[in-house]
Amino acid sequence: MSATEKSGKTQHNKMLNATQGLKNIMGRHFLAIEQAYRDGKPTAWATSGSPVEMLYAMDVQPMLPENSATVSAAQKYSQNFIELAEAEGYSYDLCSYFKTNVGAVLSNAGMAEGGTRKPTFMLSTDVICDTHVDWFQVQAEKFNVPHYSIDVPHVVSNTTNRQYNYFKKYVTEQLYEFIEFIQEVTGHEYNEEKAKQVSENSWNLSKVWQDIYELRKCIPCPISTRDTFGGLFPLFTMPGLKEPIKLYKRMYKEAKERVDNGVGALEKEDFRLMFEGIPFWYNLKYFGQLERWNAIIVYEPYTYAFSKYMNPKVTKEMVLNKPIEAMAELMLSFWYVYDLETRIKKFEETVRDWSIDGVLLHNNLSCRPNSCGMYDLKRHLMDDYDIPCLIIDADMNDPRKLNETQTLNQIESFIEILRQRKKA
Amino acid sequence: MKKIGIFDSGVETPEEIIMAAGFVPFRLFGDPTIQPEKANEHIPPTHCIWTRNLLELAIAGLDEDIVGIVSSHGCDRTNREFDIWLECLNYKFMFFLNSPRKRDDVALKFFIDDLNEFKDQLQDTFNIEITNEKLKASIHKMNKIRALLREISEYRTKYMLKGSQFHALVKKIQQLPKDEALSLLEIRLKDLKASNDLIAKEMKPILITGSDIDDTEIIVLLESLGFHVIIDDLGVGTKYFWNSVNENEPPVEAIAKYHLSKPILSTKFPSYERYNVLENLAKKYEVAGVINIAQKFCEPVLYDHPYLKKKFKELGVPYLFVEMTYNRESYSQLNTRFSAFAEMI
Repeated sequence: MSATEKSGKTQHNKMLNATQGLKNIMGRHFLAIEQAYRDGKPTAWATSGSPVEMLYAMDVQPMLPENSATVSAAQKYSQNFIELAEAEGYSYDLCSYFKTNVGAVLSNAGMAEGGTRKPTFMLSTDVICDTHVDWFQVQAEKFNVPHYSIDVPHVVSNTTNRQYNYFKKYVTEQLYEFIEFIQEVTGHEYNEEKAKQVSENSWNLSKVWQDIYELRKCIPCPISTRDTFGGLFPLFTMPGLKEPIKLYKRMYKEAKERVDNGVGALEKEDFRLMFEGIPFWYNLKYFGQLERWNAIIVYEPYTYAFSKYMNPKVTKEMVLNKPIEAMAELMLSFWYVYDLETRIKKFEETVRDWSIDGVLLHNNLSCRPNSCGMYDLKRHLMDDYDIPCLIIDADMNDPRKLNETQTLNQIESFIEILRQRKKA
Repeated sequence: MKKIGIFDSGVETPEEIIMAAGFVPFRLFGDPTIQPEKANEHIPPTHCIWTRNLLELAIAGLDEDIVGIVSSHGCDRTNREFDIWLECLNYKFMFFLNSPRKRDDVALKFFIDDLNEFKDQLQDTFNIEITNEKLKASIHKMNKIRALLREISEYRTKYMLKGSQFHALVKKIQQLPKDEALSLLEIRLKDLKASNDLIAKEMKPILITGSDIDDTEIIVLLESLGFHVIIDDLGVGTKYFWNSVNENEPPVEAIAKYHLSKPILSTKFPSYERYNVLENLAKKYEVAGVINIAQKFCEPVLYDHPYLKKKFKELGVPYLFVEMTYNRESYSQLNTRFSAFAEMI
């Protein structure tokens, strides 16, 4: 045991200086929303996983209530909002993002508290979960605004190429229909040149993020979740804009310097972990406690997933010249909701490529689509590939569902297993 | 006769295609007298207990005549759990049918594609031919079954058939070979026509909706407390026979249209349209109240509940929402709430 562990003192985790710029970027996003209201410009709520690029391309200001829900959690408002939603009849077992949003709307919360404005229309998709569609149905009815939902067929482990092709056709047709929907609701026309520019920006943004992730393969890892958990927000709120690309490039440059100088985010790196699932937004500091064991999370499928361009069939040329078709393809191959067989394979590859010692799996009580299959994922990783895994039960936005001490004890025991394996 | 097992949280599986392939469509139901144990090694206990129950039964071994499984796109649970079924079961035919969430023309085209794929995979796997003639014959047979069920259902309105009796009948029809089902229904209807027996008229007529209830004992419990399920909005109920397939259209297209024109399920979009159907049923059958029963963790029903509550309040129809655990031992916990509702209406 190191001196640091004996003293119980947490090591300083070096967040990148560039990441400080995230606040400004996100601040500009929220200002853009306010500005859109002042100017009478159309706005839309969008769920994560939906084609936000199409909104930017058609000059509609996007707002992502999930992002706002994380703001509520970070500001310690989420529990109050969730309880307000439960008083309205929404079950304790329903998604905490959804209930946070319901409570925030009921409270007329401001943006700094995670509130959201009434939009011109809503865009949902079931690519990630059914909740997204149900959530926006609830709120579209409340606000009396139009709601377009994109139905994405569910890809399972034995889906064939033939099926995949007509799945893609179905999603593509809906995306074209969505363009007509926007035109009808806002009067804005689809501009191919603008769509191309937005697509290029989105591609570039994602590629820099993926480059940053490549640097995380290095030992020691130059970047921790202090940079990535928050750093992901521009990927799903601002894909298509140039500003976040500059931020990510600064993050990359600084991380590269660290790599070149052999400097890690931790002073000492003993254990490299993967974290599957959505973090506990109400208690991000919790993850800092890993540092007491010189452990660092070097990969999160969740934050990586939003750099969506990882399907080899989707080339830059396709994104620029056939953005709608490319989007349909991407919506069918989203990392966060891979079928079980692909998920197992992808985890195994990632563990190998990022030199990961163990995997923490968040059985998120709010995100059943993600936690479904987690037990089999764990068993396969452990039995087939000898990868240590630990499942922890908690919730992304509801602090009532995290037992801090118990979970920390579980993690400590897990780290001890990893330590023994290293000694062996 | 060999069977294709149906894992469906609604009733959107095209039985006609299975029949035309020479198999018996056999809907899988749970067993509320057992606890999921093996299934809990695959699915967290905070997920739908009904689907865990089905997986438990499947792991233990399904009916020996079952040669394949089809699962239809329902909620997040049935969708994601299909991969777990692939992990746990070893049938040479396992198909996930993506019955669409939406119901417009684009969705219809997609559904036709998916039904054709289902048909093709059945043909390829079992080396059989599913002809249009066979499909048309199956559609005709199923339409007769649906028409008989619609007619028999109305005997609930005449207080000559208990809700529990009807529920048990519909459940049986979803598992029997369809020729047997047809004979059974014809006999049942004949008996009802010849009968003058009335069930207690003083029972309170109610409409039930919610998660698909496959345990008739819940209906029996309601009856023991003075309720009469005069009409329902369930898969083991009216959703199974609401309308008929058009026999004059190309068969696969007609089957797709049939499923997309039924009363919408809570798992589909926009599920709030369910209310229009429920309101019409409540008015037509002059129900004294509506009971919405959600299986524990049944998200689609949980999302719809506050809206339904609001709408029924506006309509002035008493409405009760309960969450149940799919376990007979726990049913007694519902007694108090059901009894209080009976008092209220």
